[in-house]
Amino acid sequence: MFNLIKNEWMKIFRRPGTYVMIALLIVITCIVGAFFKYQETGSNAGPDKNWQQTLQEENDALKKQMEQSRTKIEQDFFKEEIAINDYRIKHNLPEKEKFNVWSFVKQASELITLAGLFTIIISAGIVASEFNWGTIKLLLIRPINRSKILISKYLTVLLFALTMLAILFVFSTALGALLFGMPEHAAPYLNYHNGTVTEQNIVVHLLIYYGLSSIDMIMLATMAFMISSVFRNSSLAIGLSIFLLFTGAQFTALLSLKFAWAKYILFANTNLMQYFEGTPMVEGMTMNFSISILVIYFIIFQFLAFFVFKKRDVAA
Amino acid sequence: MESIVELKNVTKVIKGRTIIDDISFQVNKGEVFGFLGPNGAGKTTTIRMIVGLMAITSGDIAIGGSSIKTQFEDAVRHVGAIVENPEMYKFLSGYQNLIHYARMSKGITKEKIAEVVELVGLSDRIHDKVKTYSLGMRQRLGLAQCLLHDPEVLILDEPTNGLDPAGIREIRDYVRLLAREKNMAVIVSSHLLSEMEMMCDRIGIIQNGQLIDVQQVKEFIQGNETFHELEVIPSETALSIVHANFPDAEANLSRNGISVSLSKEDIPNLVKILVQEEIKIFGIKETAKTLEDRFLEVTKEKEAEAHV
Repeated sequence: MFNLIKNEWMKIFRRPGTYVMIALLIVITCIVGAFFKYQETGSNAGPDKNWQQTLQEENDALKKQMEQSRTKIEQDFFKEEIAINDYRIKHNLPEKEKFNVWSFVKQASELITLAGLFTIIISAGIVASEFNWGTIKLLLIRPINRSKILISKYLTVLLFALTMLAILFVFSTALGALLFGMPEHAAPYLNYHNGTVTEQNIVVHLLIYYGLSSIDMIMLATMAFMISSVFRNSSLAIGLSIFLLFTGAQFTALLSLKFAWAKYILFANTNLMQYFEGTPMVEGMTMNFSISILVIYFIIFQFLAFFVFKKRDVAA
Repeated sequence: MESIVELKNVTKVIKGRTIIDDISFQVNKGEVFGFLGPNGAGKTTTIRMIVGLMAITSGDIAIGGSSIKTQFEDAVRHVGAIVENPEMYKFLSGYQNLIHYARMSKGITKEKIAEVVELVGLSDRIHDKVKTYSLGMRQRLGLAQCLLHDPEVLILDEPTNGLDPAGIREIRDYVRLLAREKNMAVIVSSHLLSEMEMMCDRIGIIQNGQLIDVQQVKEFIQGNETFHELEVIPSETALSIVHANFPDAEANLSRNGISVSLSKEDIPNLVKILVQEEIKIFGIKETAKTLEDRFLEVTKEKEAEAHV
């Protein structure tokens, strides 16, 4: 199996396109870095001296709003804000700290979508290209059954996704440290859960944030992999998956306004962040529900990919 | 002779159409088996079923005693194959391509790869990208790829397609060598009859998905009668003499004289008579039918039978 993955890895990294992707990821991170650097020097408002008073005033306003609001979602939201603000005042944690490396890493994590895009491209091509090149024939007449070949390809996609994320994380950390400096003591991230506020190490928080943000990309890469294996067409796989990567969440959000069944759509569940900060897309959704839906989609995608790939008559 | 590949009542149905209809044959170790048929007869489909690229609708194929259906890995271990054109990863070098395939079988050493490269004569260019290769070089790389794991069965689908005469000859010599020296069974498919005639020991003729004949090449070409071509003057007189003396034999005027269907033993007799009759004889030669004649004959016969 290790040899098979080595083979797939070689086939990915012997193509110039892969390096273009990595270069793009790095260049765009640089652009984002430059942008924030420019902004930082532009607005040089130092930290607010009276931030505690400001937060207190904000809390009073929020409390008023909370009393007026009728929906539970809104009330929960206000409750969370107030709790966090209170915690800041109590533990002397100013809200606006100086823009530092971790703030930048968090901002740059938006680029996970880009990493996702590249992973989808690789995933969509990894089976379909073998058919296009005609190399599938020589690949499948080895003493290795088809399932193993497909598994090795899928694992390679995951490995590639991980590599892209690692590149993004490491590079944005390095760039952030260079441009904005390491903070003397990293301000912890404040987590609000069930009415209590907890502190979390910012690096741990970022890693979790990365992990949760990449669910979207893993699911879509899996879908692209399935389309690639079922239809042997990388363009279709790339097109459809990328389209859904960019519009899926919005479409689902629109549908969820009208229909309750929208919660069964894949994209209503890919953002697990919604259970930590913010509110679920459809009322009544829970973390466990989302995870089960994700698992079900995952199994369906994999089943289709393997079933068709194993049964296929290789002609042409 | 030990058989290594065995097809048992193999049938393939695609979308209700029977592509391959109940084919059975065996291929022995050390022999070159030719698979001959017009385009679309089912050669490639059969070969794809042998190597497990296509599922078998009914029947079974055993390679080295293992069924390709149920013991795929064990069966295909014995096989090296090129199915149609040897498609390689063009963005990799020839050597990387071989490494790629070597990783997929057990126990292939670097030395073995070097040996195979040497054998197919690609040593100079093996580290160049495959996209810079000529068709002949790709064909040779394809051959290298299927020899890596010392297979007992070599399957070449249209191996000489698109090659120049020198390339064709090279492949042919090579195939014969492998069968003879390594005791490999080689299955070759082609629609080029002259090719098969020179390369194969035995041929199976396939037409419309049915195996209509399997024969030794030599027997197949000669069939049951031989013709002798006599260059004589005057040919009309000679013809009437033949008719008079050998009433059973078939004799015709040909371009340079006459052609008669007489066995070898009768020829000296005929010459004696012709000389006595003062016919000038310039030459006598045996004309064996070519595979092409025979092939057309056989396929036509079968077609006629089918229509009756």
